[in-house]
Order: sequence, then C-alpha cells, then structure tokens
Amino acid sequence: MGKDVKIAMNQSIEKLLPRVQKPGRYVGGELHSVVKRKEEVEVRFAFCFPDTYEVGMSHLGMKILYHLFNQQDYLWCERTFAPWVDMEEELRRHQIPLFALESGDPLGEFDILGFTLQYELSYTNVLNMLDLAGIQLRSADRKGLKNLVVAGGPCACNPEPIADFVDLFFLGEGEEVDLEVIELYRQYKREHRGKEEFLRAAARIEGVYVPSLYQVTYREDSVIDAVIPEPGVPATVRKRIVKDMNRAYFPETFVVPSIEIVHDRAVSEVQRGCYRGCRFCQAGFIYRPVRVKEIDVIDQQCHLLCQNTGYDEISLSSLSTSDYPDINGLLDELLAWTEEEKVNVSLPSQRVDSFSNELMDKLKTVRRSGLTFAPEAGTQRMRDVINKNVTHEQLMKTVSTAFSGGWTTIKLYFMIGLPTETLDDVAGIAQLGKDVVDAFYATPNHSKGQVKVTVSASSFVPKAFTPFQWEPQDSIETLHQKQEHLVRSVPSRKITCNWHDADTSFLEGVFARGDRRLGAVLEEAHRRGCKMDGWSEYFSLPKWLEVFEACGVDPTFYNQRRRSFDEVLPWDHLDYGIKKSFLIEECKAAYANAVSPDCKQACSACGAACFGGGICFETR
Amino acid sequence: MKHVRIWFSKTGAAKYISHLDLNRCMDRAMHKAKIPLWYTEGFHPHAFLTFALPLSLFMDGRRESMDIKLEEEMEREELMARLNGALPPDIRVFDVTEPVMKPGKIAYASFVALAEPEGESPEALLLSQMQALLCREEIVVEKRTKSGVKEVNIQPFFTEVELAVENGKVKMAMTLPAGSTENINPALFFEALKQYQGCEPYVQMERTGLYDASMTPFA
Repeated sequence: MGKDVKIAMNQSIEKLLPRVQKPGRYVGGELHSVVKRKEEVEVRFAFCFPDTYEVGMSHLGMKILYHLFNQQDYLWCERTFAPWVDMEEELRRHQIPLFALESGDPLGEFDILGFTLQYELSYTNVLNMLDLAGIQLRSADRKGLKNLVVAGGPCACNPEPIADFVDLFFLGEGEEVDLEVIELYRQYKREHRGKEEFLRAAARIEGVYVPSLYQVTYREDSVIDAVIPEPGVPATVRKRIVKDMNRAYFPETFVVPSIEIVHDRAVSEVQRGCYRGCRFCQAGFIYRPVRVKEIDVIDQQCHLLCQNTGYDEISLSSLSTSDYPDINGLLDELLAWTEEEKVNVSLPSQRVDSFSNELMDKLKTVRRSGLTFAPEAGTQRMRDVINKNVTHEQLMKTVSTAFSGGWTTIKLYFMIGLPTETLDDVAGIAQLGKDVVDAFYATPNHSKGQVKVTVSASSFVPKAFTPFQWEPQDSIETLHQKQEHLVRSVPSRKITCNWHDADTSFLEGVFARGDRRLGAVLEEAHRRGCKMDGWSEYFSLPKWLEVFEACGVDPTFYNQRRRSFDEVLPWDHLDYGIKKSFLIEECKAAYANAVSPDCKQACSACGAACFGGGICFETR
Repeated sequence: MKHVRIWFSKTGAAKYISHLDLNRCMDRAMHKAKIPLWYTEGFHPHAFLTFALPLSLFMDGRRESMDIKLEEEMEREELMARLNGALPPDIRVFDVTEPVMKPGKIAYASFVALAEPEGESPEALLLSQMQALLCREEIVVEKRTKSGVKEVNIQPFFTEVELAVENGKVKMAMTLPAGSTENINPALFFEALKQYQGCEPYVQMERTGLYDASMTPFA
C-alpha cells in the first residue's frame, strides 16, 4: 500500500504548529498511515471525525473503514479530525482551510467527505469542520458532484436534525454499502454526471438515505404529518448489515498513533449486536441481530494485528463481550500465544451475571484495585422496567466473589431519570451501594484494604428505535432533585457518589429525537460559535437556549414531550429491522414491570430476522 | 546481555512527537520488531530503554541515540531492518554500534537553525537583526527550569555563531552546552530576537550532533 510514497509536510500548516498544544495531532506520518499518489487514484475520500485526534483515533469503526477503503486501488482515504480550539484560531487567522493528515491537502480538494456520527453533541463540529474547509454547509448550496458530504454511524438512525447538511446517509454497517456508493461515485465522476443524478441513483442502493429526496410536512400542532418520498425513491430505507462476521472485512493492521490517544491498543471485535434487550439502550436495538465471530477467526485477527502494530494490549470489543458464547475458550486460545509474546488481553466491561474469578485470572491487565459493573437501576422494580435482567442476588454474589478474589474497589453505573422512576428508586441506588459495602465485610476472606464503592449516575436520554422512544425526558430540575436525593440517601462514607451533567443530557435529548427543523438551530448555534459541545469546558446550555429562542424553536417539544404511539416519528421512514409494534409491546411491558427474554433464551420476534442472519437463525 | 546503541534520525512529522511519546513509540517498535530486549526485573517488568539526551519538541534530530540491552546477539543489519520496519517513516535507524561513551559525558550539542523572514520582509534585514543581537554585551532571556523561571544572560554561549544567507533564509550554526549539567536551547536566541529586535521569523531547528567536553563526537 504505497509504502515508498512520501509527501513533505505542508509548510503553511507547519508554521502554525509552534503556537498550538499537542501539534502531533495535526501532522500524520504515523506507522501504517496510507500515502498514495493522488494522480494515481480516481476518488479521494476524507474520513472526517468530528472530535479530536485522540478521540477519533480510538474509534474502531474508523480503523476498519480506513483500511478497507485504502485496499481499493482507485480510492485513497485520508483522515481529518476536529482541530482543537487553538488550532482552529490559527487556521482561521491565516486563512488556511482544514486539511487531511496524509497529504496535507485542503478538504475542498476531496471528492467525498465522510463524517461519522457517534454522538449528537458532535453535530456542531461537523458544521464547523465544513466551514473550516471552506465548503458550503447546506447540501442544497453545494451544486457539484465534488465535495459530496456523506455520513454514517449510530446517530444516522435519526439523521433528521443534520439532514440539511448531509447529501447522503449510510444506514447500518458500512463495510459493504460504503464501497458500493463510492464505486457508483467513481462511475458518475468518470462520466461527468451531476450530483442530482448521482443522488437519485445512490438512493436505489439498499442502506442509502438521501434526505433531499424526502419531503417532510407538519401538522398545525407541530407534529410531523407525513414524510413523502419523491417518485421512484423507496418509501422506507432499510439499514445494511454484514451477515457473516467471519467473512466480514477486518484490517490486518491499524494506523499506530505516535502520540498518546484515549484507547491506545489493538482491538478485536468479537461479535456485533447484543443479546440483551435493555429497553433504554439504543445500541442494543440498532445493531441487531447478534452475529458472533468464531474463535479461530478472532484469534488469527488478534495475532496479525499485534504483529503488525506492536501493541502489547488487545481489547476484546463488543456491546457485551462477557456474553460471548465461549469466552473462556476464546481466552484460552488467545493466552496460548499472548503470554509468550508479552501481550495482555482486556475486556472493556464486565457483566454482573457472568463474572468469575477464573475469567479475571485470565485478564492480567485488570488491576486488582478496580472493577466496574452496571446494574443501571437501584431497585428490582426499576431494573425490570428497563429489562436489565440482573437480580440483587446476582450482584451480591458477584461482588462477594470479587471481594474474595482480592478486589476492594467497585464502581457501579446507574441511570437516573428512567421512565416510571420514583424517589424511592433513586434512594435504591444508594441502598445498593450500601449492600455492596456490607457484602465486603460479610465476605470472610476479604482483603485487608479499605473497601471503596463508587456509584455513578448518568441521566437517561430517550433514543430512537428503543421502547422508550415515546417517553418524555426528565427536566433538568427533576434530574437535579434526583441527584440531590441520591446524595442525601447515601448512608456510608465508604460510598462515593458522582453524576453526569444534566445540561448536556438535555441537549443530547433534543437532537436524539429531533427533526429537520433543528437544522436551522444547528446552523445558528454554529454561527454563534457553539462547538466541542462534548467537552465540558466549551459546552454552554445558556448559549444554546438563546439559540433556540432566536430560532423560535422550543427544545422541550423534542425532549420533554410524551409522544403518542400513533405519532409519525422523524425516523419512521428508516427501517432498522425492529418493528414498531414490537417496541410498543416492549414499552407496555415496561409499564407493567414485566421483563422480556433475551435473544439467547427465546425469540421475541422483534423483526431483526428480516436480515436473514445471526442469532435469529441459530438453534437455542 | 549486550549493550547496544541505536542511532536514528527524527525529522518531519516525527519532530512533533514529544520525548514521552517517543519513548512509547520506541517501546512499541521494539515489541513489533521482536527485538530480544532485556526486561527489568521486579513487580512491573519493562524494557530497558534509555536515550542519550532528550530532544525538544519541534526540533529535527539528525544523530539521536538510544541504548538498549539485548538478551541475545543480533546482527546489526537485521536489527536495523527490523526496527525500520516497525517505526513511523520519519524515524529512521541508520546505525547500530557498541556504546563507547556514557551519555553522562555529553557536554555540547551542535545545532543548525533556518530562520525564514516574516511575510515579505527581506532576509538581509533579518540577518542584520540577528547580527545586531549577537553584538550585544548582554542578552537576557527568561529560561524555564525545573525550579521555576529565571533570567539568564545567554550572550556568552553565542559568541561563535556562523550566519549565512541561503535560499531566502538565514542559516545559523552553533554549538551550545548540553547534557546533564547545563542545557541551552537555541530557541532562547529566537526568543531574545523577538524581545530585543521585535522580529519573529519562522525557525526550523535541528540538532546535528552531540559532543563531550573536549568536543569529541558522542559515540
């Protein structure tokens, strides 16, 4: 892959670097970054991550697509990230457009700019990056085929708030559909055909959503009346999946950053999707069905990756890795070479009901001091509402096992603001913390160290394609009351309490279930300098509230309003395989404190079987 | 166990890798290259890796070195080839030797700075401003040290500086104290230039070599 091609760094960019923090973010030149000759490729693609280099380079999806794209001879995929505020200032002051790391070329020279939408609070960065590149923000203002703006990632499941700015969305998994679209682009570029024509053709590819081909009308009460496709355009767009994870593309190597990033290690994706049906969890629904990668395939991919990158840690990634069918078998297979090659294996998170000391012994990197579990709610009733099928007994058994294994520090994750939640449920979080402390002293052979329990409460944000997509989000005041109630309820000094900022959850809630009318809000927010909203030092809710006010948009219409089951939702024309009737049933079950089986136990007929693969077709 | 000195250059994009990051980068490259490194014993074993003298961020290094200990013998060419296959393209290993001097012997470093005038300003003006600064009896700048900021007269260190105009830039070659006791960064000169002459050229700096007290090249 273009090993001998070398490009001198862009001098005008280099001159800015002495004035910014962490200049290594902006220079590229990492091991395995791909440099091609631009004269030799037909399509240039800029993979744009709307957050910093350190965050973006930690993201597995980007690594997969970067290397997949660059395997195609006709295509050169480069990377660009949101510059930190100091660098943005320098770029603007010297009128230097945002550039790609590999070539140093301005983004305006690229055929396609592809954004990944990982979280709603990065939307202003998308606009800011386009602006820094000197590219028109609105899709309608970009007339030519060049500088096509595409986007994918989990937030593409409700892309409406950002639909005015993006020409085309990829729904679902990108490994196949992205290349089909880029190939089509190549053909249209060769034939000098226009953007309109291209978008119409692309809209016929499954998994491609071209928002400009759908007209949204509203009723007098502001609710959506209808979403009307143009003639010849599919009425609903179904997401794409990779049916067989064993045959799915996975890179043999990663770009190895020279500066420290957030997750600096090799990553192997052991399965896609999640068996559990936690009702609050968007990922649990939009990545269905569960597809498992075989041990041999994982083992081989891990080995290659470590050999090619030099990483000494490999993380087994998925939505719930300890649910992997034969996790012990997988670890044994890996340990056969990792010990000798001085590689550590880690799991990103532990489940309450599948924890064992045997597992822990195999994971050397887990420090003896800290373990994290996510019961998500404090009372059994609340856990039943959210279908988090973890019992009090299981949690007590698990922490006792951990304490007898020598652990002393346990971190517990919870959510507040869940549907039907009362102050008693909130107090239950503190009580559960107390029970864990008591379990420490009740464990005969616990360590001599001090027990420390941290309870961490984030604020629930209702999301599209979940059973709670009709639910109102708690107001900031209510969340604050619940946070205070939690603190008041903590009975022991051995319990530390912390919580997430309710202000950011408020805004996340608006965009998570927003519609196209938020496009004007985003544009105004960008104009007023909102950016890096995911970073507490830059996020300002008062500023955002001014923006909503100026645009005449009531944010609570989106986040704090209870929707009726028959309302047309902004994402109803997008099909993630999950039937709306199933989500309604699940929502009603939640109100009745009734749990539903997970995909391993029984099929709940959610609809994901339409993809023709995965757990839906395995014998249980 | 065998001591080995690895010689490398660190230029281009690699000059934006801090010393701490360089350490991690080398560590990972050793791992990828499967160099039979000697690991420290103890609770957290780690590879023995030590650099002759840290290089500042933003500075190219032409003759940098790093010492490692090998558990078993390895051919020089093999070692070089494996490491170069594991390092970012702008860090290149060009030699592997047996250490002659201890890093503690380092007393001087040679540097070349290329100063580019701001905007349309002519290089002759920049040259005269740099010359004027060098003619002063005292050049006092603030120097950040571990114990805080202090004022230092750097004039005595810049008495034997070579200046020349080259391709629209002013090239400045100098040798300055370096090592464990005293370090003078050539960037101090350009801070003084801003302070005394009010000019801020864009400067590319490189460290070209290290020497002991008798100006014998570090080997």
